[in-house]
Amino acid sequence: MASQPHRAAPARPSAFAQYRALLAKDLRQEIRTREMLTSMVVYALLVLTVYGAALAQVGDAIEVVAFAGGLLWALIVFTSLLGLNRSFAHETESGCLEGILLAPVDRAVIFLAKATANLIFLAVVECITVPLFFLFFLSGAELAATTPLIVLPLVVGTVGVAGVGTLLATMTIDTRGRDVLLAILLIPVIFPLLYACVSATSVAFMGVAGTLGTFWTSLAMAVAYDVVMIAAAWGLYAFAVEG
Amino acid sequence: MASAIRGQDPSAGAAPVAPDPSAPLAVSAHGLTKRFGERRALDGVDLAVPAGAFVSIFGPNGAGKTTLLRQLALLARPTAGTLAILGIDALEEPDALRPRIGLISHRSMLYGDLSAEENLVFFSSLYRGAPDRARIDELLRLVELDHRRHDPVRTYSRGMQQRLSIARALVNDPDLVLLDEPYSGLDPHAAELFDDLIARARAERAHRTFIMVSHDLDKGFALCSHVLILARGQVILMAEKEGLDRDAFRELYLATVGMGVA
Repeated sequence: MASQPHRAAPARPSAFAQYRALLAKDLRQEIRTREMLTSMVVYALLVLTVYGAALAQVGDAIEVVAFAGGLLWALIVFTSLLGLNRSFAHETESGCLEGILLAPVDRAVIFLAKATANLIFLAVVECITVPLFFLFFLSGAELAATTPLIVLPLVVGTVGVAGVGTLLATMTIDTRGRDVLLAILLIPVIFPLLYACVSATSVAFMGVAGTLGTFWTSLAMAVAYDVVMIAAAWGLYAFAVEG
Repeated sequence: MASAIRGQDPSAGAAPVAPDPSAPLAVSAHGLTKRFGERRALDGVDLAVPAGAFVSIFGPNGAGKTTLLRQLALLARPTAGTLAILGIDALEEPDALRPRIGLISHRSMLYGDLSAEENLVFFSSLYRGAPDRARIDELLRLVELDHRRHDPVRTYSRGMQQRLSIARALVNDPDLVLLDEPYSGLDPHAAELFDDLIARARAERAHRTFIMVSHDLDKGFALCSHVLILARGQVILMAEKEGLDRDAFRELYLATVGMGVA
């Protein structure tokens, strides 16, 4: 040992093993504390309650169907904001993020794991709140045959919100008033995605003959947004997380 | 290496290892500079730390101590200058170095809702892909938290968390251990335990190098083999402790603190 104080560098572990460790840590923490999921679900229920009050005077179910897409996406975006703000709370409390950055982990792997965890949490919340949305506001309406298609913009939109939101949440970790700042940054940045997803969801809800082309066009725009923005987030994450 | 911990008597294993003068440098920096806007947090720092040394860095608030430690931990890139750690260019090959550096901070870098074992398994997985269970068991015994390994870290006292943070920093068996005011918030008993653990970590491997930032002059001086005084982002003094007059050093340090920051 004395003659060889500088050992050879150990082999770098596989990126997938590191991704799995990072993701498992986030899931284990959330399963144990349920902080993020509980706050997001409660918040979503409160938004649904406000919607209930706002729509109480709308007697015609057809009118509700017409703007159900917009309402649903407003619910998802605001609930996502709450979750994204919480997603780095555990990392910053005791400097854990620095502990991760000390390790030989590609910063893009950290992004991918955190974005996957956020995607899973958002998906769980949507699995609870979307059926409730239908129950409260669309149970009396005659739903179009194309309604099940809303799953597609929901999936594509949630992937985009989780990906871009993870990057922006990382950028705002150490800022004062990060809750507000994340909202100020996220909503303009995801506006094209939001617009495309609201359009696709509304077309699916309405099911008007001859408008299905608009659905697919909007969905294609949302997919293109996801590809471009998540690739950009992947590339920029090292700058964001290392400050 | 791992066997060096196993079965070690705390008092017997606490003897620090004297740095070998013929050993290669653990840290070699030239003109290391870090600017934040117009402010120079580090201003042309030159460093030559032999392998196996224990360097205590002193200086007033804002002198650049933590900034220097963050450069050495590869958590931030310098604005200018060169930096080689363990014979590797830290600016060109940071990923080759990261597995060989550990950092103990006044922040524990531990997840409060996970147990001690889960924390170490997680950090070990980041370094090795699969956790090194034998190393984790040894470290938990070393920091005397084996009996609490399944308890959530948030139920630990500050001293216990700091002990576990030593285990976290050693989980990758680093050659260079950085300590950023590790005694902050520890009561005297916890600080004593911490001293003992640091001594064991020094004894674990002959050429393991320690660089500690401290505000506690007595503690830092007692532990180190080399002293370094930073002020205004510049090295005022770097010297071997041996042969250094303690009172003269204290006076110099106090005069440096009086210089304040830029």
